[in-house]
Amino acid sequence: MLNLDGGIDMKAYMGLYTAVHNFCTSQKAVSTGQGLQQGQRGGVSPPTVGSSTTQYGLGLTWMQAHLLGEELYKLLGEYLSRHLSDVFDKSQTHTEEGLLGFYIREWERYTTAAKYVNHIFKYLNRHWVKREIDEGKKNVYDVYTLHLVRWKDDFFENVHEKVMDAVLSLIEKQRNGETIEQSQIKSIVDSFVSLGLDENDSSKSTLDVYRKYFQDPFIDATKVYYENESRQFVAENSVVEYMKKAEARLDEEKARVGLYLHPDVTKGLTDTCLAVLVTAHSTLLRDEFQVLLDNERQEDLARMYRLLSRIKDGLDPLRTTFENHVRRAGLAAVEKVATDGENFEPKLYVDALLQVHTRYQNLVDDAFNGESEFVRSLDNACREFVNRNRICKTSSSKSPELLAKYTDSLLKKGSKSAEESELEEMLVQIMTVFKYIEDKDVFQKFYSKNLAKRLVHVSSVSDDAETSMISKLKEACGFEYTNKLQRMFQDMQISKDLNNNYKDWQDKVLDDDDRKRMADAHFQILGTGFWPLNAPTTPFLAPPEIVKTAERFQKFYFDKHNGRKLTWLWQLCKGEIKANYIKNAKVPYTFQVSTYQMGILLLFNETDTLTYSEIEKATTLTNEILDPNLSILLKAKVLIANPEGAKPEPSTAFTLNYNFKNKKVKVNLNIQIKSEQKVEADDTHKTIEEDRKLLLQSAIVRIMKSRKKMKHVQLVQEVIQQVKSRFPPKIPDIKKNIEALMEKDYIERMDGDEISYIA
Amino acid sequence: MSSITLTSSDGIEMSVDRTTAERSVLIKNMLDDLGDSGDAVPLPNVNEAVLKKVIEWCEHHKNDPPSASDDDDNRRKTTDIDEWDQKFMQVDQEMLFEIILAANYLDIKALLDVGCKTVANMIKGKSPEEIRKTFNIQNDFTPEEEDQIRRENEWAEDR
Repeated sequence: MLNLDGGIDMKAYMGLYTAVHNFCTSQKAVSTGQGLQQGQRGGVSPPTVGSSTTQYGLGLTWMQAHLLGEELYKLLGEYLSRHLSDVFDKSQTHTEEGLLGFYIREWERYTTAAKYVNHIFKYLNRHWVKREIDEGKKNVYDVYTLHLVRWKDDFFENVHEKVMDAVLSLIEKQRNGETIEQSQIKSIVDSFVSLGLDENDSSKSTLDVYRKYFQDPFIDATKVYYENESRQFVAENSVVEYMKKAEARLDEEKARVGLYLHPDVTKGLTDTCLAVLVTAHSTLLRDEFQVLLDNERQEDLARMYRLLSRIKDGLDPLRTTFENHVRRAGLAAVEKVATDGENFEPKLYVDALLQVHTRYQNLVDDAFNGESEFVRSLDNACREFVNRNRICKTSSSKSPELLAKYTDSLLKKGSKSAEESELEEMLVQIMTVFKYIEDKDVFQKFYSKNLAKRLVHVSSVSDDAETSMISKLKEACGFEYTNKLQRMFQDMQISKDLNNNYKDWQDKVLDDDDRKRMADAHFQILGTGFWPLNAPTTPFLAPPEIVKTAERFQKFYFDKHNGRKLTWLWQLCKGEIKANYIKNAKVPYTFQVSTYQMGILLLFNETDTLTYSEIEKATTLTNEILDPNLSILLKAKVLIANPEGAKPEPSTAFTLNYNFKNKKVKVNLNIQIKSEQKVEADDTHKTIEEDRKLLLQSAIVRIMKSRKKMKHVQLVQEVIQQVKSRFPPKIPDIKKNIEALMEKDYIERMDGDEISYIA
Repeated sequence: MSSITLTSSDGIEMSVDRTTAERSVLIKNMLDDLGDSGDAVPLPNVNEAVLKKVIEWCEHHKNDPPSASDDDDNRRKTTDIDEWDQKFMQVDQEMLFEIILAANYLDIKALLDVGCKTVANMIKGKSPEEIRKTFNIQNDFTPEEEDQIRRENEWAEDR
């Protein structure tokens, strides 16, 4: 009945269709509802209009519960089963690739025929099959699906194992490097996929059959294959070689999916390959990580990263190793700097820190894809070795101090100053280290001290560089952190304007006589609250020349700003005096001196020799200041001690050296005294402790003011949160300050460990 | 535009546009499957008169968008028929049923719907007795059967 071997012509096609139609519409069956009617009634049976609508087989009335077709459907199924058992018999003579070819040929022939038959049986599909399915009958399908079901049950079930064996051995051949006919596998995959039918709705397809009969065995075979291969390869090759192999294999398998597999396999295949090729050997890989780090094998590190990043928790152990490695590298670098004791340039120290950071930052970027977790490990390691290393052993504030000093050296005039762009680059690097500094308040302290000096002594390398640095700090720590620094700049600008006004005022007020005796002076007015400067530690009776100038300026200033108080910071003032008394100089020498030195030297305008106590009495300077300044003057041979070579002490007398000689016309005597530097640093550290106390207390009050009531533990936590951007607070310190605030009646202790704010 | 030849059950050949003919899913599938061999397509279930009518309808509707899916209930449920189709269906009852049968055989869904709607409109609003008269149907129910049916279908009564 369905001889498709020789094709089919139009007449036969239409004949068959008509036969099916007429069978299904034949009325005899309707009345009895059963029994096989003769399918071919032949020709048209003109309906007798007017007897009963049931005649038309259109399902128009409720009485017609049965549509014809069951018999036809059953016979078709049986025919297909016979055909397929025949096909199966023939398949027995084929094996391996031959079997694949046979399967594919038969499948294509069968499905083509199925499409025809489906159309020829369209009437059956439209009515009987539809009704059966609508009524929820299982195991009734449209005619095309019936073909698939029969193929699966009557043929596929008997051959799928052999077919898959052939497929898998073909794939294994390809994995071994042979060329195979991939399209065969593709066809098999497509066939298996087509056989997946949804149990509940045969119009939908599922991948169940494909998964069960193709994917599962395929994945099992893949697992076994790579288990064997990797075991053997690892035994015979280095880990580095193995990683290359594994990576190549993973790529290959990924490509395989695109070539001839169903995309559904991707996840399972990838997971299996990763499990066998990477997870199974992950310990081996990780053990190699330290070795690769030690030898800086960037490419291999990148490969290891790529492989382990693809398995669950694969990278975690690497991160710990990496963090430790970077920390050790950082500590070692600092150790090297510290070998020569405390006397090293801050630059050396900062460079050492930066070098380690840069090296591993690059590694993270290039080998580890800049992955955020590795960045975090790097940050952790850097924070460790920046804040806790050999140089910081004595005090954790050593790092910020050195960093601030290095910054100062860059921003101060006279250092081998770099190009502007280069300088900017270096400032950026400083910020890199700054980011890791825990005691940011210490940096702030030293930085503002240095900045104050640079501004007061007009020794900044450039305003742009200063502004750039401050804006960087502001960006990192916020407005409050740099507020005072910016105010210092403002004061400088205001002072500049003020000096101009003062000059104009002088021109109006002074007569010629005054002008002749006047010292040419420049004044800076610095707000007490913003500048990290202290009043002089010694009384000082300024020379009359200066006192006059100072008083005149004060008068001008108080006219402008009534009620302000001016404190003269003599220790920061400086000036130049001309030595007209030295006879053998063509051009008179100019001495650059501090105000104190000026005070001493100007005394010699009256007499050539003065005793220690005379000088002491005239200047009122304390011994701590007077002695070193006299020493400088002796050392430079501006003064000569009597007895010769004596130190500045009460029994010494000082005579002006009329035979002073120097290569330069300008002689700088205003040298900072070593002991001063040290004292200054110590002072700074002391003020830091004090400031921290205030910072903690203000944080506590701020929090309590907004929360009103709070548990002690919570308060401590909250304070740490607020303060840690400046320095890492110690819990006992916080507790101590809470106690202190209770004593001052800012807050009080309540029941149940609660603290409340006293308004 | 290619045309094909159809042969009616009484052996009359008719040439129609392929697009027109393909309103019939049967013909469309067959041409897709076998290709157009140029041979006449035998339609052993449709006679000349009916086939002419069907072709006339297909000709008129050949550019209709492909009929919406089976579940297009709205379109199917209303008994509205467009004007041209109403006119087209103004034939005697015998022809009407012949057209319906042919549409069913040729698998022309839209025509089948129009045919059935026409019949439905003939039934609508009529009592069983009137319906029997309209279609010349003999009442083959016993009074008891009729009574039972009426009771079972009480819910559908117009009230």
